Amino acid sequence: MTPTRADLHCDLLVIGTGMAGMAAALFAARRGIDTVQVGMTGEINFASGLLDLLGVHPVATGQTWSNPWEGIARLIVDRPRHPYARIGMDTIKKSLAEFVAFLNDADLPYRFHPERNVRVITPVGTLKTTYAVPATMAAADDAITRRPPCLLVDFPGLKGYSTHQIVGALKGNWPALRGVRVPFPGLEGELQTERMGRKLETPGARQQLVEAIRPYLGDARFVGLPAVQGIARTRQVASDIQQALGVPVFEIPTMLPAITGLRLRECFERHLPQMGVGARYQKKILSKPQVVGKDFLAAVGGEAPEMTVQAGAAILASGRFFGQGLHAERHAVRETIFDLPVYQPANRSQWHHKELFDNGGHPIHHAGLTIDDMMRPTDKTGRYVYPNLFAAGSVLAHQDWIRQKCGSGLAIASAYAAVRAYVKCRGRTERRTPVN
Amino acid sequence: MFMSSVASIALGICLTGILWRIGRWFRSRIGPERAKSSPVSRLAAVARALFGLCFRAQALKLLAAFLWDILFQGRLLRQSRLRWLGHMAVCYGFLLLILIHALDDWTAPYLFSDYAPTMDPFRWWRNGLALLVLGGVLGMLIGRRRRAAGIHTRSWGDRLAVALMAVIVLSGVMLESAQILSPTIFADMVEDYMGADDPAEVAALQRYWAAEFGAVPIPSLGGAMDDDTEAGQAAHEAYCASCHSRPQSAFLSYPASRLLKPAAGWMDTYRVDDWLWVIHYLASCLALAILPFSQFFHLVATPVNLMAQATGPVTSGAPVLRATRRALGMDACTHCGVCTTHCSVAPIYRVIPNTDILPSAKLNGVKRLATRRLSASQTKTLAEGSAICTLCGRCTRVCPSGIDLQDLWQASREDLTASRVAILDVREAFRPGGAAPSLPPPGLAGSPPASLGLTDRPEVFWACVQCTTCTSVCPVVAASDDPQGDLDLTPQQIMNLMRLQLKEQALGCRMLWDCVTCYKCQEHCPQDVKVADILYELRNAAYQGVMPPQPMAADNH
Repeated sequence: MTPTRADLHCDLLVIGTGMAGMAAALFAARRGIDTVQVGMTGEINFASGLLDLLGVHPVATGQTWSNPWEGIARLIVDRPRHPYARIGMDTIKKSLAEFVAFLNDADLPYRFHPERNVRVITPVGTLKTTYAVPATMAAADDAITRRPPCLLVDFPGLKGYSTHQIVGALKGNWPALRGVRVPFPGLEGELQTERMGRKLETPGARQQLVEAIRPYLGDARFVGLPAVQGIARTRQVASDIQQALGVPVFEIPTMLPAITGLRLRECFERHLPQMGVGARYQKKILSKPQVVGKDFLAAVGGEAPEMTVQAGAAILASGRFFGQGLHAERHAVRETIFDLPVYQPANRSQWHHKELFDNGGHPIHHAGLTIDDMMRPTDKTGRYVYPNLFAAGSVLAHQDWIRQKCGSGLAIASAYAAVRAYVKCRGRTERRTPVN
Repeated sequence: MFMSSVASIALGICLTGILWRIGRWFRSRIGPERAKSSPVSRLAAVARALFGLCFRAQALKLLAAFLWDILFQGRLLRQSRLRWLGHMAVCYGFLLLILIHALDDWTAPYLFSDYAPTMDPFRWWRNGLALLVLGGVLGMLIGRRRRAAGIHTRSWGDRLAVALMAVIVLSGVMLESAQILSPTIFADMVEDYMGADDPAEVAALQRYWAAEFGAVPIPSLGGAMDDDTEAGQAAHEAYCASCHSRPQSAFLSYPASRLLKPAAGWMDTYRVDDWLWVIHYLASCLALAILPFSQFFHLVATPVNLMAQATGPVTSGAPVLRATRRALGMDACTHCGVCTTHCSVAPIYRVIPNTDILPSAKLNGVKRLATRRLSASQTKTLAEGSAICTLCGRCTRVCPSGIDLQDLWQASREDLTASRVAILDVREAFRPGGAAPSLPPPGLAGSPPASLGLTDRPEVFWACVQCTTCTSVCPVVAASDDPQGDLDLTPQQIMNLMRLQLKEQALGCRMLWDCVTCYKCQEHCPQDVKVADILYELRNAAYQGVMPPQPMAADNH
């Protein structure tokens, strides 16, 4: 490492704190890599908590897959430029397994079937397929399959969540589905799921909630609650409520930002620093990092520079437009940190199709960073821009994660592939020794 | 005889009062160390500390404080050049008047070989000093009225002190002008110094004075003759000039005498000059007597406090000295109100009409607390004012009397806690309700809402996606079970009003006033909206739009 007067030295800088950034920091830390992670935490709050692998392909026909692996195999054939095709089926499987194993160890257990997608009820009353769900949502798949008498609960003041709407949408195929509205213990006015979750972490509030639901239980064999059963102590909260009600309880995801994303965030923010990640949350890269020798030198801070970080390599997991990894200017889309070349439609008039709800999605959604086999962003000629810069997550081009329902899978698998590529690249160069 | 015994009594009252006030410094109890020491041990501690000081380098610091803070009044100069000028004028003008005019019988023989009150430059000086004092008092009154912005914290003693000062100076000026006009005094003087029996010479002298100086108006003596003028001048030079300068040099009294001239006869008949002298003398005695019981006492306490403060903040001294220093500090207050103009929570007074929020008024409450003269309701208002104070220390930094106010607030807060006055209950039980700032009707507010810019620039908040993250992380929202009921609007709702260009709607909500500016909302915002900065700016805008409420507890201390 070239000596500089940086405040912080590391081998690998992970830029981003969304699902891909968190996964990259996790995989790097588990491999003993000296890692620093920088990013505004906020994006992970918007994770649904569901780990989608692949739900729809091709997007134009809207074909859904009950076995995501079959879908991915087909996607790899049809869309060879999709990141999944670069990463490969085997790596995707390994990455998911390692990620879910970590969450289980971290007291945030997930449930999945190895060979098929599971279903959940959405807050607008549709059914959604996904790969792995938090244990608190697992019972919904069983209930959806068997359709027994089931009671859904909502609360006055919780916006974007209505059992009336859910029951109305599903009742046709599920006559034994009922809804009820009960007051939420201890809170009034507009409810936010985060505050509700923290409230239910107290035993008294759980008790009150159970008492409020019990009179309406009747013949119900399942109870569905919005996802509000605690944040850091979810397992305790959920098991208490289920035991007191005496029937399986499942959570239904709520509007974003949802508590399900918050649970992931609290889990990562608690465990990653313990695993040795130099976490610099609530901070961002303020200007284009300089290259010093082969290293990156980045100014990091909240609004003004607070420190400089020198890193031997970096993984860019800065997200798309909402995460501010990509920025749509008047005439073109720009990558915001390294100013990397962005694959995109030739001009703005081609960003969108004429129809807003075009079945195939819009070309702008396939814009992003093109990568080589080592997950390094490339220029138009296909050659990497920096030998030691890797990219992961939704910033990548040739994917439409929202319509393909592959967001978490893409984030986790590409993060895994990026860390693996970094290890390989490092192996090729001589052993570095940090200079302080 | 009677008059000199009045002066003696006044002096006695003054000295006894000063001793009593100083004694109170050792009896007043404020702060957590209060129960531990008796007045005698506190006095002994002060004596020990003073003795110890003589042998330390700190004595030099005291000397510097004496020169800069006391003689030169440097703290005032730092505050405002105009105030400094006014205060210096009053302070040194009055001091010199006392020294060379009031006490001239004792001081003049030592200071001047040729002293006579009617001779220049002494008469000219006297008028000059009077002008200095009058101008200074007037300037300070105007300045204080402007500073206090309708918040009066002066006691009756303070008002009486200022009034007395004006009475003394004005009666002095009037007295001199009455004397210039008085034929009786002229006659007395002629008898005493001229010993003349020749009425023609006396008449010539009087005519000369009337013509030359415009003094001593003559009722009817016919026209003057040339040789008469010469005779008058000769008599003047022989008998008067050695003791009398031209009265025109009394540049305050002489013009005043021109105004009074038409009433000269009447004034002489009733001996108005004698009455003015009695008023002048008695007012001076009264001022002396009330010195220890009025704002005048700061003449004693403030210099002592400034010297004490030069040794460091109150808590830097030995615990046994602290209560004494606090009492001294409270006496050093001149109720000038500078602390209130710099107080960082003073704006809250516009929403919660409790004068004890303002440091200048709160000090009165703390004084009463120290001497156990605080009623239950006064305790409650003091507790609320005390709880609202953030101990930011700005008042201490700006206090011209060098009072360690921050320490006083801290100490009194501990006393209130120790006597189980529930400081936090007061705020919790308080629901602004009617007192809360209501929506200023558009176009009717006194001044347009202040705009620092953020809230008028859509790009600052247009990225908001209404995700509620700001509301979820807000500790103020979290502290309430019913945010809508307690705060009216949550942060994300306020951001929505901004997006809808309904800024005025947000100005009336309580969220703005309860925001603790912890910046969690801004740090967590996924869209980089400057939520906290916007709330802060809205609070300022609301403050500009709110009219100050009627003072609740003003003027009753």
